[in-house]
Amino acid sequence: MQVTFDVYRKDSGPDAQPWRSTYDVDLPEHATVTDGLLKIRDEIDGTLSFRASCLRGYCGECLTKIGRGNRFACTARVAAVGASGPIVLNPVRVVPVIKDLVFDWDAFMWNKIKAVKPWLEAEDVDDGETVISDAAMKDLRKTMSCYYCGLCDEGCTALPEDFHFLGPAALTKAYRFVFDPRDTQTSERLKILERPKGIWDCVHCFEASEHCPRGIEPTERIIAMRDLAFKTGITNDRVARHHMSFAASVKESGWVDEGRLAVESEGLTNIPGLIKLLPTAMKAVARGKAPIPYLHPKRPGADRIKRIFEKGEQNAK
Amino acid sequence: MRDGTEVPEFDVLVIGGGASGLRAAIAARHAGASVALISKVHPLRTNTGVSQGGCNAPLGPDDSAESFAEDTLLAGDGLCDPDVVRTFTQEAGRDVIWAERMGAPFNRDPAGRLDRRAFGSNSRKRTCYADDRTGYIVLQVLHEQFQRAQIPSFEEWFVTSLAMDDGVCVGALALGHRSAKLDAFTARAVILATGGFTRAYLPSTASLGTTGDGQSLAYLAGASLMDMEMVQFHPTVFPGGPGLLITEAVLDEGGQIIDASGEPISDARGIPRHAMCMLTSGAEGDGAGAVSVDLRPIGRERILERLPQTYELVRAVAELDVTKEPVPIRPAAHRPMGGIETSATGETSLAGLFAVGECSCSGLNGAGRLAGNTLTEALVFGRRVGEAAARYAREVPKSGFAASQLSDETRRLEALTGHDSSADSLGQIQLQLRHLMDEKVGLVRDAAGLQGAIDQIRDLRDRHERLRVKNPSLAYNYELTTYLEVGAMLNCAEAVALAAQFRTESRGAHRRADFPSRDDDSWGAHTVVKLVQGAPQLEKRPLTAVR
Amino acid sequence: MKYALYAGCVSKGGCPELYPAATKVADRLGIELEELTDVGCNGAGVLPQYISDPINARTFAKAEKLGLPMMTICSTCQGVMTQANHRLKGHPAYREEINREYLAEEGLEYQGTLEIKHLLWVLFEDLGIEELKSKIQRPLTGLKISPFYGCYLRRPPEIMMPTPETKQRSTYLDQLIGILGAEFTDIAGKGKCCGFPILQASEENSLAMAARHTGEAKGKGADAMVTPCPLCHLNLDGNQHRAEAQVGAKIGLPILHLPQFVGLALGFDAAEMNLQRHIVPTGPVAAKVEMLS
Repeated sequence: MQVTFDVYRKDSGPDAQPWRSTYDVDLPEHATVTDGLLKIRDEIDGTLSFRASCLRGYCGECLTKIGRGNRFACTARVAAVGASGPIVLNPVRVVPVIKDLVFDWDAFMWNKIKAVKPWLEAEDVDDGETVISDAAMKDLRKTMSCYYCGLCDEGCTALPEDFHFLGPAALTKAYRFVFDPRDTQTSERLKILERPKGIWDCVHCFEASEHCPRGIEPTERIIAMRDLAFKTGITNDRVARHHMSFAASVKESGWVDEGRLAVESEGLTNIPGLIKLLPTAMKAVARGKAPIPYLHPKRPGADRIKRIFEKGEQNAK
Repeated sequence: MRDGTEVPEFDVLVIGGGASGLRAAIAARHAGASVALISKVHPLRTNTGVSQGGCNAPLGPDDSAESFAEDTLLAGDGLCDPDVVRTFTQEAGRDVIWAERMGAPFNRDPAGRLDRRAFGSNSRKRTCYADDRTGYIVLQVLHEQFQRAQIPSFEEWFVTSLAMDDGVCVGALALGHRSAKLDAFTARAVILATGGFTRAYLPSTASLGTTGDGQSLAYLAGASLMDMEMVQFHPTVFPGGPGLLITEAVLDEGGQIIDASGEPISDARGIPRHAMCMLTSGAEGDGAGAVSVDLRPIGRERILERLPQTYELVRAVAELDVTKEPVPIRPAAHRPMGGIETSATGETSLAGLFAVGECSCSGLNGAGRLAGNTLTEALVFGRRVGEAAARYAREVPKSGFAASQLSDETRRLEALTGHDSSADSLGQIQLQLRHLMDEKVGLVRDAAGLQGAIDQIRDLRDRHERLRVKNPSLAYNYELTTYLEVGAMLNCAEAVALAAQFRTESRGAHRRADFPSRDDDSWGAHTVVKLVQGAPQLEKRPLTAVR
Repeated sequence: MKYALYAGCVSKGGCPELYPAATKVADRLGIELEELTDVGCNGAGVLPQYISDPINARTFAKAEKLGLPMMTICSTCQGVMTQANHRLKGHPAYREEINREYLAEEGLEYQGTLEIKHLLWVLFEDLGIEELKSKIQRPLTGLKISPFYGCYLRRPPEIMMPTPETKQRSTYLDQLIGILGAEFTDIAGKGKCCGFPILQASEENSLAMAARHTGEAKGKGADAMVTPCPLCHLNLDGNQHRAEAQVGAKIGLPILHLPQFVGLALGFDAAEMNLQRHIVPTGPVAAKVEMLS
């Protein structure tokens, strides 16, 4: 069948401007987009650069924007994606492009993974294999079925605002070690992950989990690390103040005292921070919508909530 | 460099970032050597991920290194080096346990110990596994430890030649895709870990880059290639697209091989791969074979739990649901047993040059690899060869190589580039090579077919040499690197065809229709191909004389 | 139609205009509400699950005891509690443990039968569009409105929209805008995050997100944005001036709560819906609505 490809092009180099190339290719019925690209490169235009490796959808290398969606070129059938017109190919968004469809995986992902110390630090034992239940290993196998396809990072809401956010892929890799019972560096790892650009920068919008083609649930993994940090003591001061204040007002009154939350998150002695809140606070007062901090009525049932809270904390230990 | 130019200099240079290369790099580093890795794709994108079923280790109470060795020798059909097999089977347990200690989350039995599945023709349950993604998970663990060892990693660098100085390997010349230039790397020891060459076949189970680069580099530098005719065909490959491997583990989980009428083919379990292939080759032709693999008896829930990768890939590539329908299969080229001739510690016939993994031939696999040995081989020999290379590097004096080698190589690559108005193309040459290998140097061979193959390969090589790379850039110029890969495949293909023609018997994976029996009197020996004054020369290497 | 109302925290705290608007609109539409007054904050994604699951199980048990489905007026409440409910329903052993540990001493038990719906879903799935249309007194003709769902209302999709019928939930707000007579002004960011959850951890990113989405709507000529989540409202409305300062551009886009938007179409005036309580002045949009009467 005849297929037309409309492909993003760009030379390498800092000032290069993008343009587009169109190719008409004759391909077998079951051909994939990668088959098309290979034919273009090997028979028509050797200047076209794109990545491919396993050709079967398990290595993650060929992530491409095809039409309006992002997917692997090696499992995208041309008959399907090209059914209603030319197949439009672009690099994925959020990532610096090096040349044509070759984008900067180092910046996008590999460097971020390096940043989470991605290796097991286990006890040095010379006594056969670790004896451990398969239940613990099963969850790790699920996490390690991640093939670094980048779809979670591509769908992430925070990354377009801040490219330096570690992102769901790197954080899922971090989870793999934080929750490996054989690892001995859990609190050190959490400390690193709680720094800016880490787990607290995630907005838990669940885009990552929605985008993951393997059901690894990266968002839930990040939440699990945050919950663990809450349990062991949050080391990020700003976040700790906010979370502790939230927990305190729910514990004491059954619901959130937002005025208190705003103030305590900044920190009661943080004068510049508190001053920063003033314009918003004043506007809110003028509109009659400012909850007065600490003048916060207890709800009925607050004592029951407190009881549950305390019990939950106790059980978690 | 001898002229004083600064070039990266290492004790050990590893070429190839899959399981064997990573393991070797880690071992060399731990042995105190300065190490660097060059890989044409990122390590996590390498072909190791194809491997699904598991890695063998004689850990069960009913198992032993001896039993493991017997099974390996049997699968090798009389062509293995018993000493190498013995060493391997004795060390396998400790190396697989090392992988677990480094973090591999292998499946566990109810007692919390490494579980082992039945696999292929192993007479005991000895295949440790991680669902059906064992290769990919072991690869990740190795890459994790590789990063921990802080080994400089030159990713997306393509090695264009080895640097030789008077018959000694002193490094390599490589093209950096991103840096867009050719660089020289000096090393006291070079380890080739570049994988197989079965991309030369269609269908196959190979990745795009499995093009025999290392074998070709070594061959052109004067090293010998051993047992090249021994190409393992995997019995259960879906033939659509590039070919999709379906792990034999499905049979041990309860799946069945069925014929065209839906009847299970008996005797389809527990036999060596080459025998399995005879069963699944069924009716040839358009590849929509009369033989299928049926996973339905396993049950949907168990399939999704134990064989998630199989389910997913068959869906993506074959557009079939293994919980509902059988999958047509036929044998297809999988990985070579033959390769660069090496000792039990990876030394090739060239000083300073080592090889490990699928690009090498140490005498471990003989004429047929036991299912489940590949990953264990990467772990055991990766370590041994890394350590050996580090030892060697300690003992040799530093040698540079002439700066002229870099400029010569630059000129050589430039000469490949230019205007080309012929109607010929790399695409057509590759496609014709792949088809002819599958037809004439495939599961069953004969004299006429092999001669035809050799002639055709040489014709393709002439055409290849006449082609010019039209893309003049050095930045992510995949046309140039594909050109070099096609050259490598042609060299490997020729070696395979010549060796297949040479061995006038059937043994293991090498089947001759015109010589259907095994002939130990004439052929209890390895085949060796080597370039002598630019022409391939074949000889027999008696079994006991393996270095 | 009767529901146990879970009013949440912000609808009476930082966005006190929301609660009365919601109850007035429910009343007008014949949606009977019995408020759960002695239940706790669901955690809002801040409290860890080992604390919030038991608190939520208690809330669910109380609603279940009333024999009523539960209704929320906040995307975050809806999302957090649906996820908790999913865990409690899907794992009987887990639910039993929580019942035993935390609820039994109060004489409560959650049996795993509760259904929880946001007001937005109630309008489409229980009240029905025809009934809603019949109550419209003031079609909001000519008003250009952009939707902003709030992440928690749509994701994870397999939990929030688990059946083929409920898949439509991802477009309810879009549809509602047209049903109430207004002009649907689509924005790419309507399903994205408003930035509120990271206000503390990463203020810069949070305000950038708020600026991005309100800016996009304003750029397309929207008169206002409507959101079913008061936490989004806090960032998009409450912090809009800070977002403007950060990106160095004026936005000035009024943000309406879902019940206020519906209420205006039902015939309530701006004061009855407490539009004067917003930080970003709602004068212009209130005036436009006034002219439609």
